[in-house]
Amino acid sequence: MPNEFDAIIIGGGHNGLVCAAFLARASRRVLVLERRPVLGGAAAGEEVFPGFKVDTGASDAGLFNPRIVKDLNLENYGLRWLESPAVLFAPQLEAPGLTLWRDPERTRGEISRLSEKDAARYPGFIRQVSRFADILSGMLTLTPPSLPQWELKELLPWARAALMLKSLGEREMMEFIRLLPMPVADYLDEWFESPRLKAALAAGGVTGNFLGPRASGSALMLLYQAAHSGGAGFRASRFVQGGMGALIEALASAARRHGAEMRTGSQVARILLEDGGAVGVELTSGEQLRASAIASNANPVHTLFGLVGAANLEVRVVREVKNIRLRATLARVNLALDGLPEFTGAGHNGSHERLGGHILIAPDPDYIERAYDQAKYGEFSTQPLLDLTIPTINDPYLAPPGANLMCINAYYAPYKLNDGGWEGNKDKLLETVVAALAQYAPDLPAKITHIQVITPLELDAEYGLTGGDIYHGQMGLDQLLMMRPIPGYGRYRMPVENLHLCGAGAHPGGGVTGMPGYNAAREILKAGVTS
Amino acid sequence: MYAASHKKFDVIVIGGGHNGLVNAAYLAKAGKKVLLLEKRHVLGGASVTEEIFPGFKFTVFSYVVSLFRPEIIRDLNLTQHGLMILPLESTLTPLPDGRYLYRGPDHFENYRNIAMFSRRDADAYEDYSREMYFMAKAVKYILGVIPPHPTSLHPKELRGLLRMAQHFLGLPAEQFNILVRLMTMSSADFLLRWFESEPLLGTLSASGIIGTFLGPRSPGTAYVLLHHYMGEIDGAFRAWGFAKGGTGGIAEAIASAARSLGVHIRSSTQVSQVIVKDGKAAGVALADGEEIYARVVVSSLDPYHTFLKLVDPNQLPPEVVADVERYIFRGSSGKVNLALDAAPELACLSGPGAHLRGAISISPSIDYIEKAYDDAKYGDFSRRPYIDMIIPSMIDPDMAPPGKHVMSCFVQYAPYHLSQGSWDEKREAFGDAVVDTLAEYIPNLKDIILHRQVLTPLDIERTTGLSQGNIFQGELSLSQLFFLRPAAGLAQYRTPLRNYYQCGSATHPGGGITGAPGRLAALEILKDW
Repeated sequence: MPNEFDAIIIGGGHNGLVCAAFLARASRRVLVLERRPVLGGAAAGEEVFPGFKVDTGASDAGLFNPRIVKDLNLENYGLRWLESPAVLFAPQLEAPGLTLWRDPERTRGEISRLSEKDAARYPGFIRQVSRFADILSGMLTLTPPSLPQWELKELLPWARAALMLKSLGEREMMEFIRLLPMPVADYLDEWFESPRLKAALAAGGVTGNFLGPRASGSALMLLYQAAHSGGAGFRASRFVQGGMGALIEALASAARRHGAEMRTGSQVARILLEDGGAVGVELTSGEQLRASAIASNANPVHTLFGLVGAANLEVRVVREVKNIRLRATLARVNLALDGLPEFTGAGHNGSHERLGGHILIAPDPDYIERAYDQAKYGEFSTQPLLDLTIPTINDPYLAPPGANLMCINAYYAPYKLNDGGWEGNKDKLLETVVAALAQYAPDLPAKITHIQVITPLELDAEYGLTGGDIYHGQMGLDQLLMMRPIPGYGRYRMPVENLHLCGAGAHPGGGVTGMPGYNAAREILKAGVTS
Repeated sequence: MYAASHKKFDVIVIGGGHNGLVNAAYLAKAGKKVLLLEKRHVLGGASVTEEIFPGFKFTVFSYVVSLFRPEIIRDLNLTQHGLMILPLESTLTPLPDGRYLYRGPDHFENYRNIAMFSRRDADAYEDYSREMYFMAKAVKYILGVIPPHPTSLHPKELRGLLRMAQHFLGLPAEQFNILVRLMTMSSADFLLRWFESEPLLGTLSASGIIGTFLGPRSPGTAYVLLHHYMGEIDGAFRAWGFAKGGTGGIAEAIASAARSLGVHIRSSTQVSQVIVKDGKAAGVALADGEEIYARVVVSSLDPYHTFLKLVDPNQLPPEVVADVERYIFRGSSGKVNLALDAAPELACLSGPGAHLRGAISISPSIDYIEKAYDDAKYGDFSRRPYIDMIIPSMIDPDMAPPGKHVMSCFVQYAPYHLSQGSWDEKREAFGDAVVDTLAEYIPNLKDIILHRQVLTPLDIERTTGLSQGNIFQGELSLSQLFFLRPAAGLAQYRTPLRNYYQCGSATHPGGGITGAPGRLAALEILKDW
């Protein structure tokens, strides 16, 4: 009996949809199975509060690879970008806040109020970060070679990246190499003196990783967050009209247009194996579906332990999967507001342009480091690092007239708490976050009409992010490239024949980039998917 | 002796630390006429033994040896010159609750002792030790090569890179993966792949933080862990030892070898400037105004002194000056030396015994050390520090009068930059924190202390000249290792000034009493001759 499908994608997160769309575009018959009632995974738009379209997971699509948008013609499927002139606003208690604008010249003026020296150095810094981020983004679309036992053909695509690196010139190339393992705090210390500016930039180095700015490898994450950032240089930030859900809809429409099928509310219970190879999936309903290739958008631990089963894997692989470092870092608080809170130092001449990007609560790098210190010992930070957006500023239609939406990422929130579980601490977390924010926006508490709190426990249970790790495995230097998700399986193929990984657990990693899905589709096609 | 200054030398080596001495000895062995100048009255730099209190000898700054390269011992016949390394066979980790973890030379006893905390760990320990042995062997290769310059297309550099790639890509996949992890992970995460019991995790992870301003949970510390596993005594890896006569015994042995090879050594002689003529080093000017000329000048000092103090930075390319200025020193450790009236009594294991002849490590858990680091991060010394302590007089009775003892405590963390106050004000408070911490485990300690010497990073800097008191002449972080040590383009022991070289721990392969930078620098200097 011929298979009904060429490929089944487990999980309809953004990477699963990208993978599905590219496979369908290559005339493969594709089925996407999503456990939740909505597509999007950790990048979904959901009506959590009546009349609101809430980005329950990621709310910024700045890292999404432009090549995917172009290849899939996503703009034809309704994708519209919104770019706020402000990339980041860091309010201060006693003085006007610091805004980092998309326009570096404007930012420079802003910084000069803090330090003339820093203002003078800022353009050079942005130039270096942009240049390095360009080199890095060239590597994100490549499949890692399987070191140490590589084949020449695996290395050839990397020759271009090597040439790009070479084109930096000797000194900058060595700078790039030196920078990769550096702590972002040290890197910024080399450039700047203002703690406020350093904190605003350092926050990009710790997103999603359970580490503080003094940790080695955080400078690399700063570059990762700066890929495709255009002129702003330090942090890619771009919103989607209609919320993140609209990006997901555009992806799903493109995939459907090429013939892919989507089923929501369909949970895969296990991957069916025959002779050690994947031949299909069984749903929790008992239904079995067969395909010649399976791609999992779930994290590698759930994919291999939950769906394949440790008993079907080699001991060596089991040991590696067990040791994948999964860490929760953040809790999410979504608030519906009747009106816009007033931030100190945001300027009130009827303009909210400072509030259109990210709003960051982190007065200095040590504030971030101390927030991390607490989490190391199993507490959530009582002085949290907050990175929030007010999506309704750029797109008022996300909420009923006059209302606003606020999406807050609160760092750091470990998966396991010392004093009991998250159940008893959810309210305490909310109080902590609102209190920290109310220092800068005193009228915020009075404006809250609806609240959603997503703790690491719910990231795990509801969104399938095992251990609450939004990156499907920490993006430390030890879990990148050929080491991601586990050594020997860095080329999207899993230790089970016909099974691929297309989620953030594969190279290049987390964030709404689409890259793991894009790269996995290429490898699946290369492996030769036939009916 | 001073007649030497009128002769013209082939080489002047600045600094009589172990690397300077090794460098001088190798150059003399190759037939060069070498003069070595040491600022202090004793040789050895940070590896000296001094009689601080009458009758009590201390290895003032350093305390143990394991990394010293066996090829240097052979090449320089150091054994004939009195080098004797006494094995330091055990590590005892006393715990606050009165229990202890003891690891010694007996394999089966170790198994039983670890199994008291976790049987799984006892099983894993053997695997772990074997893996680390292989890793140390795989990486040992690096200790003997000149770092190639990765951006250069010169055939020599490409060959070097290729050979290195072949070496590492030739490793079995399992070992390659472990190596990648050692180069990138935190020592805590790395060890958590093997172990679960806190005393073992704490004590093993401590090797990952020694000399660095990082905690066991900081990525990059697994490398430092490996660095400490590269120790090799008589070909046996991971063998810590204690030099007869203290670490100064090593310096004395190398100095004796150097002298027998014809090196002139002048101590109490401070160099104030390197004389540069036509963009080339030509000799040195001493603090008293004397000038000595030589064809080649080698500095064993750290980059701050080598590039910014001994020469006029204006004679160097501005980017070299900028690189040196941002080089990270970050002294993080202190040393407390105690003269004791009697043998210390441990609460967990009273009476004499083999455990007193080994290391005693105050490292009950990873969190204990991490919290010690947290204090230091914000500019304070650790209230409850990590302490690695040995009692040299138990191993070498000549170190103290009969019946009395010396105790040598390596302490972390003591940040060079304090957020409040100065080290001159806080020195004794720091000493108290160390003694108080130790007294929790050694109840009779406070009653038997005759003398106490507290060395802060500032004291280490003042006495030895090590900038910010960093015992490794600069942080052993990935961005300051190999072809980046001390900076890109300066990693092959040369400097932008012709005939001026570096040979200290700030060059590859870095700190610890290895002698390797001194030897590799000598080989490079001879290539240019």
